[in-house]
Amino acid sequence: MMAFESFLLLLAVCVPLLYPIMALAGGSDKVMRHALPLLPIPALIFVLVAQPGGQLELPWLLNGGLWGMDELRRLFLLLTAVLWTVAGVFAVGYLKVHHLRRFCVFWGLTLAGNLGLTVAVDIASFYSFFALMTFAGYGLVVHEGTEEANRAGRVYLAMAVVGEMAILAGLLLASAAADSQMLSDIPAAIAESPQRDLMIALLIVGFGVKAGLPLLHFWLPMAHPVAPTPASAVLSGAMIKAGLLGWLVTLPFGDISLPVWGTLMVVAGAVASLGAAALGVCQQRPKTVLAYSSISQMGLMVLMVGAALADPQRAPVLLPVIALYTLHHGLAKGSLFLSAGLLLPSARMHRALMWLLVALPGLSLAGLPFTSGALAKLAMKEALAEDKLEFALAGYLSPLMTAGAVATLLLVLRYLWTLTAKLETGRNPPMLLAGWLAASSMSLLAFWWMPWNVEGLVKAPVWLPALYQVWALIWPMLVAVGIAGLTVRVTRSVKQR
Amino acid sequence: MTLWLMAGLLFTPLAWAVLTLLTDFSRGRLVSWAGILVQVLVSLGLWLAVARDGGFYYGLGGWDAPLGIELRVDGLAVTFVLLTAVVAGACGLHAGAYIDPDKPWHRYFWPLFWFLWSGLNAVWLGGDLFNLYVGLELISLSAVGLVALGGQAGALRASLRYLLAALLGSLAYLLGVALIYGQFGTLSIAGVATWLSDHPVPSGSGMALALMIAGLALKTALFPLHRWLPPAHGIAKSPVSALLSALVVKASFYIAARLWLELGQPIGSLAAAQLIGLLGSAAVVWGSWLACRQQRLKQVVAYSSVAQIGYLFLLFPLTFSVSETVSLQAQQGMTLQVISHALAKAAMFLAAGNLILSVGSNRVDALAGVSRFLPFSLFSFGLAGVSLMSLPPSGGFAAKWLLLQASLGSGQWWWVLVLLAGGLLSAAYIFRIYRASFLESSGTDQFFHPSRSLEVIPLILAMLALGLGLASDQVLTVMALPFEGEGAP
Amino acid sequence: MTLNMWMPLFALMTSLMASLVIFVLPEQGYRLRTAVNLGAALVKLGIVAVMVWGVFHGVDYGLSFTMLPGVEFVLKADALSMMFAGLSAVLWFLTTIYAVGYLEDSPNRSRFFGFFSLCVASTMGIALAGNLFTFFLFYEMLTLATYPLVVHRGTEQALRAGRAYVIYTLTGGAVLLLAIAWLQGLVGDLPFREGGHFGDADPALHGSLILIFVLLIAGLGVKAAIFPLHGWLPQAMVAPAPVSALLHAVAVVKAGAFGIVRVVYDIYGIEASAMLGLLEPLAWLAAFTILYGSARALSQVDLKRRLAFSTVSQVSYIILGICLFGPVGATGGLVHLLHQGIMKITLFFCAGNYAETLGIHRIDEMDGAGRRMPGTSLAFTVGAFGMIGAPPLAGFITKWTMGTGALASNMDWVIGVLVLSSLLNAAYFLPILHRLWFREPRGSWPHERQWGRLETSAWLFWPPMLTAAMTVLVGVLASLPFSPLSWAELVVLRAYSS
Repeated sequence: MMAFESFLLLLAVCVPLLYPIMALAGGSDKVMRHALPLLPIPALIFVLVAQPGGQLELPWLLNGGLWGMDELRRLFLLLTAVLWTVAGVFAVGYLKVHHLRRFCVFWGLTLAGNLGLTVAVDIASFYSFFALMTFAGYGLVVHEGTEEANRAGRVYLAMAVVGEMAILAGLLLASAAADSQMLSDIPAAIAESPQRDLMIALLIVGFGVKAGLPLLHFWLPMAHPVAPTPASAVLSGAMIKAGLLGWLVTLPFGDISLPVWGTLMVVAGAVASLGAAALGVCQQRPKTVLAYSSISQMGLMVLMVGAALADPQRAPVLLPVIALYTLHHGLAKGSLFLSAGLLLPSARMHRALMWLLVALPGLSLAGLPFTSGALAKLAMKEALAEDKLEFALAGYLSPLMTAGAVATLLLVLRYLWTLTAKLETGRNPPMLLAGWLAASSMSLLAFWWMPWNVEGLVKAPVWLPALYQVWALIWPMLVAVGIAGLTVRVTRSVKQR
Repeated sequence: MTLWLMAGLLFTPLAWAVLTLLTDFSRGRLVSWAGILVQVLVSLGLWLAVARDGGFYYGLGGWDAPLGIELRVDGLAVTFVLLTAVVAGACGLHAGAYIDPDKPWHRYFWPLFWFLWSGLNAVWLGGDLFNLYVGLELISLSAVGLVALGGQAGALRASLRYLLAALLGSLAYLLGVALIYGQFGTLSIAGVATWLSDHPVPSGSGMALALMIAGLALKTALFPLHRWLPPAHGIAKSPVSALLSALVVKASFYIAARLWLELGQPIGSLAAAQLIGLLGSAAVVWGSWLACRQQRLKQVVAYSSVAQIGYLFLLFPLTFSVSETVSLQAQQGMTLQVISHALAKAAMFLAAGNLILSVGSNRVDALAGVSRFLPFSLFSFGLAGVSLMSLPPSGGFAAKWLLLQASLGSGQWWWVLVLLAGGLLSAAYIFRIYRASFLESSGTDQFFHPSRSLEVIPLILAMLALGLGLASDQVLTVMALPFEGEGAP
Repeated sequence: MTLNMWMPLFALMTSLMASLVIFVLPEQGYRLRTAVNLGAALVKLGIVAVMVWGVFHGVDYGLSFTMLPGVEFVLKADALSMMFAGLSAVLWFLTTIYAVGYLEDSPNRSRFFGFFSLCVASTMGIALAGNLFTFFLFYEMLTLATYPLVVHRGTEQALRAGRAYVIYTLTGGAVLLLAIAWLQGLVGDLPFREGGHFGDADPALHGSLILIFVLLIAGLGVKAAIFPLHGWLPQAMVAPAPVSALLHAVAVVKAGAFGIVRVVYDIYGIEASAMLGLLEPLAWLAAFTILYGSARALSQVDLKRRLAFSTVSQVSYIILGICLFGPVGATGGLVHLLHQGIMKITLFFCAGNYAETLGIHRIDEMDGAGRRMPGTSLAFTVGAFGMIGAPPLAGFITKWTMGTGALASNMDWVIGVLVLSSLLNAAYFLPILHRLWFREPRGSWPHERQWGRLETSAWLFWPPMLTAAMTVLVGVLASLPFSPLSWAELVVLRAYSS
């Protein structure tokens, strides 16, 4: 890594850490508020200028630090930096004066953790940043200080601590087995170790807490709605992806076939994507619905992780798709969450435009053609194609994905429905609006220029699906709309009686 | 040179006793200070001489044994002489400032003090049983007199009781001496020992030894014969209590120990040795227990003496039928215990006297809050306590360490328990005093600081007791071959 | 060189002399006393730094003379002693600063600082002792020097605590004395030697050696607060905050733990201890103490009491670490000797700040204190996370190293203990942090006082900030030379290579 890039990388991780110091030194609230979007900028620059593959050695750090960026981390880092930037812009307009400084401190700490864990290659700094993000995230969750927020915070913290401990134990075992302090040595060592299953179980559970694996997800629908809106956006968009990243860098993909773990993960993914949808549509509050949607979407990614675990040959194809899906979901979900904090303009045209921009990322999640969702869905479908996958459950994956798509749209519709009931009319602060607009445009437009990789899975031009594919994307959506319409009608008639 | 030193050592106390008899207290004080100076210098000189050239026998007036009085001047004896000089000198200086010169009967303090001193020297250096008896009597009588100087009725009662015990002890001892003389035809301890090494043990000699030791034990206040000690030591003037506890009881013990070491092996029995050890242990436990329960400061210190004396008697079992090394360790331990207890107890009594003077009451709970005034005396008391608790690096610790080694080495592990328990029990009563002094109470704003000279003396003694542990090896080297000597040359 | 010979004595004497000088200073001589205190602390820091440098480069610092027949008084500096000496020197300096501020305007300051320095001198002696006998000398001296500090307030409660303290420690001392005397009688005077002495002990002695080991651990375990000998520690928290800080971080508790390290490594030798089957039971005992202390801490409502039980738990990490038969585990245990000191002293400083500035003693009074005292609360947070073992703080380095060591020596159950204890730690620290930062204050503080420009007096403010910074730095910079971790590795390297 060149000196400039190294410096940028250090800066990227350390700049957000300035906030606690500023707060202690009595920096002004105003500066802190307006600097929020600037914190992830060095990371953004870094991810744009640096080439993947570079590494930065920090021998003095912990047990010997090593930071770097490969293809996988690049996408995660990009997602993180972008999302935190737009959420930061939003936050400038959103935040009230109440405990502003405290919020800013935790924001900076969480961001530093999130960025750091994405670039960390050695175990100790990875785990350090992971823990930093987890614990500082608590500050964002309970920020409002309501009874509900405190309860959510308690659940979040309890589960997070258990998760941290599982990760610690798993990493310890793996590190000892590998006799190395680097993450990159871990998968191979796990694959060969006699305690393989224990380590895998610990790591899956540990990161699963963050990723919202079924039964480890309880904190998610509690914490996301109570957090301030920009915080929910990064929680759902970026932070839960850290769990996913944890799996991707530690589990032994491509080394051995683990059909049992693969099956378990697939089952968990299916339960998550459908079960969360079933629970989610019953919710009243928009942000809770979105939280369930996140669990559901993570379920689809867990599905892919399961498949990759089961089939080592297919894993190299699946990993970039998972990263792509992550990017797509993160941007879209971030935009959706931010929209929950908007006020409706009074002018009719503006209002219609706004609803459109709110709905589009949602539809993108469901796989609307010409959106990132369509690309992600198609790539996923190709990657999990039955004939190319050596896995007992391969045949079930395609229907599962279709069902997932239906569930996704149902949740999105439910979200829009609850939002109509909740949104109030008023003038949005300009920064708030700017943040949201930026998020939407990132999801809808900028996505196409981002460095994802689907070579060989989706034919060029990637943004224009072939006709048969369009139908494959559209019909689940039609089913969902139909179900939704039916439900509305039934409930109305029930109510009338 | 040594001739002069010996002459100085033996005759100054007697001369000063006579001299001070003729003066009143204040003038006696001046005279005595000069005497103390002479005594300390002479003792130091003698000690140095012996440390350099080794011990010797000294025939008094040029007459050798068996006709004349022969003195045994070995390392141990001169060490004790020096100890006496230090402790008695310190008590004398302290008394000069402490005792009220206006009470008429106080003028007898100095003569009694000097007689006591000369008696002590006689005992340390004496070689035959009768001379020792004379020294012992001299000590006892002047000690009784000193106790009686307290003046009140209580003091008189205590001194009478003391006198009775002392006389009874002397009687028993004298009886034993008579029996020994009848059987062996000599009064020299060494002579008896030599005789015994050539001949079988005559029947009845056990009786003689038992009588002598019992009498000496009474004078040393070994449990259960200790009842006279606490009232006497508790009620006497502080410098007197210091003298009594530090030196007087040690004199009788010293004789008993010498008898046992020379004659114990042939004449004594295992049962007797263990019995004495057992009594010593009981003294340790019982004395400490009672010390914990006393309400008056000086009584605590006095009962502590009973307990500390108990340790000394462990010498008897630990030197009977044991290996050479163990016996040596026990003797060294005992010597250190004698020295460190003398220094520490003197420091403690003097400090206690100062504290009582300061707070105006002799009760333990009157000490509440005293530590706020940071009196030196409390500090000295504390340091002396460290030695009594036998915590490092004090001389008491060194002594305990050697005794522990001896007990473990001889396989008599039960004494280990006594030693450890004794340490803890002494901690109990000493920390009781500390505790009282740390209690923050609202009432104590009245506090009288005694003069610096009164405070410095116990501090020096306590420091010596504390530092003794660090220098034990050097001290023990000078006392090399303690308690041993060839027969008459 | 003769200067090297005297260096340990100088290190010892700085505190001892400071103590004596302070005793004779008048109570009102505030400036002079502070100057003496800080000056001595600085001088000692310098001496220790020189010695650390020297030991690193293999210089031999040693002084000995015969104290009793067959018994030597030995002062010696090896890597392990410098570890403890360094900790003591650094933390003494900070604690002195803290204490000066803490005791401002309170009575009995001469007495306090005199004994305080004496206490540190004893710690120094313990660190530099070259054999068990010398160690015992200072070990007991420490007991005596600490008593006046524990009872300093002179209240009934303080006196009761002092009484418990004395009963426990003196009894422990007696047991220790017995063990040392027995060992001495059995095999003679044993200097501390890397690798120990009993690698090839006569099998006939094994029985006695095991028994002596048990006695030694029992005696040392009182100060190290191993279950069930920990009873005095929670009571002793009534002492003033700087005393608790020193007691828990450097002096008493650590002296016990340090002694156990000495016995296992430098007297018995790690191989011999393992061969005699002594390590496994000790490891279990330590593990139990870790969990027990944490579990008890959960139910405490008094802040300092909770911290005290936390100490019970944390100190046993050290013991558990050295019982892991292998260099890595040992490193973990040793490094915690320093880490626990730094973290715990931070927490106690903070507890003292809350008590002095706001009158807070109970945990439920701490609501919203983070807003009123952000610096102190930040330090407290860092300390608490360190205790939990959250990376990248000091505690994490310990846990990680120990965990790796446990796996290397096939004692996988230790991982379970570490995880469980971390969970418990989180359970009793995180609620406090929540109260500090996220609860609204309850109106007025129990006993607030305004104290200068900062949130509290500057004397009280900076020490916890510095130790908190150290907590972060020793974790983040663990791989630098002279960091605690590197130094512990050096110690272990020397212990295992001989």
